[in-house]
Amino acid sequence: MQRSIEEIGIPTIIISALPPVTRQNGSPRAVAPIVPMGANAGAPNDAEMQRAILRDTLVQLIEIKTAGETVPLAYEYHAKI
Amino acid sequence: MNLTTVKGLQSEIYVPIMPPPVWEDVKKELKDMTIALATAAGVHLKSDARFNLAGDTSYRIVPNAAHINEMMVTHGGYDNADVNKDINCMFPVDRLNELAKEGLIKAAAPNHYAFMGGGGDQSAFINQTGPEIARRLKDENVDAVVLTAG
Repeated sequence: MQRSIEEIGIPTIIISALPPVTRQNGSPRAVAPIVPMGANAGAPNDAEMQRAILRDTLVQLIEIKTAGETVPLAYEYHAKI
Repeated sequence: MNLTTVKGLQSEIYVPIMPPPVWEDVKKELKDMTIALATAAGVHLKSDARFNLAGDTSYRIVPNAAHINEMMVTHGGYDNADVNKDINCMFPVDRLNELAKEGLIKAAAPNHYAFMGGGGDQSAFINQTGPEIARRLKDENVDAVVLTAG
């Protein structure tokens, strides 16, 4: 999906919970906070963390200069299972 | 010097092949950009048809104007507990609108796009669903897309 959008001429970035998978699938730009699959954009009901993750993601959209780069983000949330 | 000593020799170790790189340069500053979301999290309007959990390559349009109370998730590939509490943790639409209001970006796009990732018919996603969503985003003059998936 990300590749299709990038191919038509729109820059993209993905917030990934499984960075090795996104990388393997040829994502052009990725960020990876420490989050479980299912809360990629941050802990539920934590607007501050979600906003910070989205803000840093948008900043990395500009900052990443090489296809295939994944930038770790310093946010951490572990789901209680 | 010839580097090939045995023709057609293959490694016994399975080596996954990565697709060739794709890249589109960012041409605007963030403050001038209209941003859309695209998610594989199975988000859709409650009024829309649910995804088929057995495999579904269709997509749903989620208008930016919709309230999160009008949205839900159909996806069997991850624990839905967190998205059911707060859909923003997979589909940060409220956060996107807050950042637009703040001026970090110009605007949230009128429409966001959602599908059910985590497997299914990959060739349909790559050859049909993906290009179709991409075309719509292009028609809507979206400057960049943030995805949540994987």
